[in-house]
Amino acid sequence: MILDILSNIVLVIGLFFVFLAMLGLARLPDVYNRLHATTKIGTLGAFGVMLSILLKVGFSAMGVKALTVALFILVTSPVAAHMISRAAHRHGVGLCKESVIDEYGKACDAACPVPKEDTIQE
Amino acid sequence: MSSMLLEYSLIFMVISFIPCLYRVIKGPTIPDRVVALDAMTTIIVVMLGIYSYDQESVFFMDVALVLAIISFVGTVTISKYLDEGVVF
Repeated sequence: MILDILSNIVLVIGLFFVFLAMLGLARLPDVYNRLHATTKIGTLGAFGVMLSILLKVGFSAMGVKALTVALFILVTSPVAAHMISRAAHRHGVGLCKESVIDEYGKACDAACPVPKEDTIQE
Repeated sequence: MSSMLLEYSLIFMVISFIPCLYRVIKGPTIPDRVVALDAMTTIIVVMLGIYSYDQESVFFMDVALVLAIISFVGTVTISKYLDEGVVF
């Protein structure tokens, strides 16, 4: 009984984070802001729902598979988000107008500065 | 009560496809579309998990695991292609 109530609570928390991510995906102005919103589906939404299924069925075949899916998504979703955001920054997707700082762009410029036109010709 | 909550959550996840599809169609750049497709795949994985519990069948959970793996590999591949111009 207590496990049933606890799994329902975890399920509602996961669905709430899915709702927040969809709201951010529709309304936020920038690729990086949208990525910040949608990564919560992987880490909190999917993990919460799969943990709720594990709490409902216990350690049967379905519960162990749900735990496997939850741990896999928990590991791989931030890695995929990091790679796509780095690729977007190097691809040249700009930040939105309201953003105030760009640490990664400054670090890239300091590490390998873009050569000027006249130095290339010499 | 519990199965009613699961059915409502399935309906909610089907409704939550609408912002993803909006962002896939309208999104100004390619990383926008990739982010929206990644979110959509994760929602499908969660739906398959809930449906597997609802139908009391283990096999949908295997489909969810395979879909999660394919989504991760696809996102990494597209980001490497955008970054360096080559996949491998």
